[in-house]
Order: sequence, then C-alpha cells, then structure tokens
Amino acid sequence: MKKDEATCRGGSHRTTRTGTGAGFAARTGGSFAGPRAMVYDSDNIEEADILTAREEELTMPDYVHPDVLVSTEWVAEHLTDPTVRIVESDEDRALYTQGHIPGAVEIDWHVDLQDPLQRDYIDRAGFERLCAERGISNDTTVVFYGDKNNWWACYAFWVFKLYGHDKCRIMNGGRKRWELDGRPWSTDRVDYPATTYTAPEQDGSIRALRDEVLKHCKAGKQLLDVRSPEEYRGERMHMPDYPNEGAVRGGHIPGAANVPWPLNCNEDGTFKTAKELEKLYIKELKMKRRSPTIAYCRIGERSSLTWFVLKYLLGFGNVKNYDGSWLEWGNAVRVPIAKGDTPA
Amino acid sequence: MSGVQGKLDGIVAEFADLDAREKLELLVDFAKGLPPLSADYEARKATDDSRVHECQTPVFLWTEVAAGGTARLVAEVAPEAPTVKGFVAILAEAINGQPATEAAGIPDDVLDRMGLADVLGMMRTRGLQAILTRIRRGFAAAAVA
Repeated sequence: MKKDEATCRGGSHRTTRTGTGAGFAARTGGSFAGPRAMVYDSDNIEEADILTAREEELTMPDYVHPDVLVSTEWVAEHLTDPTVRIVESDEDRALYTQGHIPGAVEIDWHVDLQDPLQRDYIDRAGFERLCAERGISNDTTVVFYGDKNNWWACYAFWVFKLYGHDKCRIMNGGRKRWELDGRPWSTDRVDYPATTYTAPEQDGSIRALRDEVLKHCKAGKQLLDVRSPEEYRGERMHMPDYPNEGAVRGGHIPGAANVPWPLNCNEDGTFKTAKELEKLYIKELKMKRRSPTIAYCRIGERSSLTWFVLKYLLGFGNVKNYDGSWLEWGNAVRVPIAKGDTPA
Repeated sequence: MSGVQGKLDGIVAEFADLDAREKLELLVDFAKGLPPLSADYEARKATDDSRVHECQTPVFLWTEVAAGGTARLVAEVAPEAPTVKGFVAILAEAINGQPATEAAGIPDDVLDRMGLADVLGMMRTRGLQAILTRIRRGFAAAAVA
C-alpha cells in the first residue's frame, strides 16, 4: 500500500488540504486533480438559490443520518444481541478467516454478491437465500465492517439497500479501528440457524445503469469520479498497483469532478467529520444536495463508499452508484470521454 | 515427492477435498508459517529491487539461486494481505531447496488445481498470478546469471 498511500489515501493529503480546491492542487504539484468546482446548467439554479445560504454556513454539527454509523464500542456491546448480525466484507477475504469480530459472518463481494453468469448482482431469490443462510431476517440490524476504510463494507451495505433491507449500519473505522482499539479477534467458525427472508425487487433509485448515466452526463448534472487522479486523467485504467482489468480507453465521463474516495476517511479508517465532508463537497465543489448525483469508480466499489457519504452523512436526496463504472464506460462504443485534470 | 512439481502436487492434494472455508483456513495456516525476514533482508528492502509493484499490498520478494543451482524464495508480505501471504508461503515451500530451473517453470494452473480460483474469485486470482509470474521470471533470470 505504500505507493497507493502516497497517491490517493486521504490521510496523506490531510496536512496539505487546508485551502481552496485550486490552491490545494497547486500545493500538491498538480499531481492531484480534485476537488474542482463544477459548473451546472440552468436546471440546477433554482435548487442552488434555495440552498446556497444555508450550505455556505458550513456549520453542520453532525451527519444528517448519524444513526447509520455505529462505533466499535457499540458493536462490542452487541456481540450476542440476537437482533443484530455483524457482517464482514473485505478486499482480502482470508482476513475474515485469520480473525473476525466474534460472532460476525462473512459476505464476500465477489463470491457471494455477484451473479456468476450475467454481469450483475445476485437476483432477488439469490439475495433472499444469502440472507437466510447468514441468519439475517428482514428485521435484523445488519452491521457491516471490513478492511480498506470499509470500502467493501459500504459496497455490501449498498447491495443490501438495493434489496431494500431496512436496518443497515456501518461500523465506523472498520477492521482498522477495531484493531487500534485493542478489541479481540476470533477464529471460531460462525453459523446461525437459517432464517426466512423476503426481499423486494431491486431499488432502482440508488443504482444507475449506463443509459441513465449517459443522459445524466449530457444534461450536465452532478457526476463524481472517485478514482485516483491518474485514472481520472486517463493516464492509467486501473488503480495504482492493481492489475488492469480490461478497460480499453482511459479518462473520465465528461463533466465528472474528481474526488478520490480516500478523502472521505481519516487515517484510522473512520469517516471525516460532517464539517470536513461538507467543506469538501458543498463548499469546494459547490455540489447541491438536492440535485441528482451519480458517483462511479472502476467497478462501483470505491464509489459505494462515496455514495454512502453523500446519501447518509451529508444527506444528498438523490444519489446513485454507477456500478458499471469505468470497466463498462471505458469499453463502451460511442460514449463520450474526457481526458486530463478538468471535468469537461 | 521431490522437485518443485512434486512438492506442489503434495500441496494440491492437501487442498483437494476441503470445502471453501477449510481451504481458506489452510491458506491462512500457510500464511502464518511464512517466517519473518532476517535482519539482513530487512536492511536490503531499502536498496534492493525487491518490491513487487504490481501488488496492491507491500510485498517484497527475493529469488535467489545458490552455487549448486538450488532455489531460495525469501519474502515479506503485509499482514493485512493473508491471501497473498499464504500463496507466497506455498510457493516458498514448494521452491526452497529445489532446482531453480524448476521454480522458473511452475505452471499457471496451481491456483486452479488447489481449488482457490473459485474461492477467491477472478480479480484476486489475477493478482496472485502476477506474483507467480514475477517469481518465475526472477528464478529464470537468476538461473541464467
């Protein structure tokens, strides 16, 4: 991670990110593309007028939906609570095997949540089966946590919301905070009695598919590219130090601003404060909470963390994750692409 | 069993009849068995070209060949990447003390044969294949030198 940390982890930037977007880019030698202000078309002006005064105050005392976050302490107190199921989702799934929170089950983003045939998530029946096997009922409070600043935990959270699960939480700080707090790991095998679970069809209001993204882009609406600056500029088609998974074009969706996802997090894996997040998205980027917003990355995993931040911590009313992301866009025929460090 | 292939066949057999959970547990066991770097290798991390840059987590590899043509794989993998660490430990067990030429010829299908490709999924498997490629290339170059 050393190289990755140097290029896109939020903590590395904290000491330098003290001023405006432009000043920040200048101080980091231009190696960092965002955040940059976006210019929107007229259909957003009305909302802007309504919200400008309040948003410029930057006095958000707390997250808009603070109840979606729980602390490691809360989790430690609810390890055996039958109404709570703790779920680990990791980039490296052997981490769960190596040691997990006592009583936690694992849901793997790739093996458990993806349809093995079609490029899509498991279908409704598959989701119902998965929940039943993990001992999750419709009224269970599901607490997600994991490695990498809870990036996969947010992804699993998003898939649970796709299927309308009501009580979803993120353990703030994930594995890293649990470890830093000196809390115990367990290697016990965890199995719960199967439940019955009934899910609705997918909730399209939080998921953007390609055609919608194209319309959104052409209408000049709020788009966020949360990948590393190198990917955004089109210099590389995958994360620093990760293998290329096969995008044939580099760059970003025209109009998308670049806010690398690590900027949402502190060095200890917890989310930045409401004030810090508000400053980043509302003040510096001039984003509007009520304007339709789409976030994307490479395969929709990093952007599910940003989606979580915008929707729950900052209270954006209409924000979607484009899970097709660059792996789809960078391979699609006749979709517009921009290169370089500016949105257009 | 002898030779790199024989050692790998033995490890493949260990994985053969395990379910997914057991395979991951065995992989983690291998990861735990990877010895920490000795002080001299620790010191060489800063100067040698041992860092695997294709890998997302800090991985340091040395592919060395003794005078008699015997291979030695020395490695350090960050504890937050037990999958990579376990795979490197498996390769070290198969390679160390065996002819370097054989280490350079490990076939691509090791992960498939251990049944780990399905357990880990395509993206993770690809990352591990990149490490295998790097190790093979290292021994091929060292065996020639």
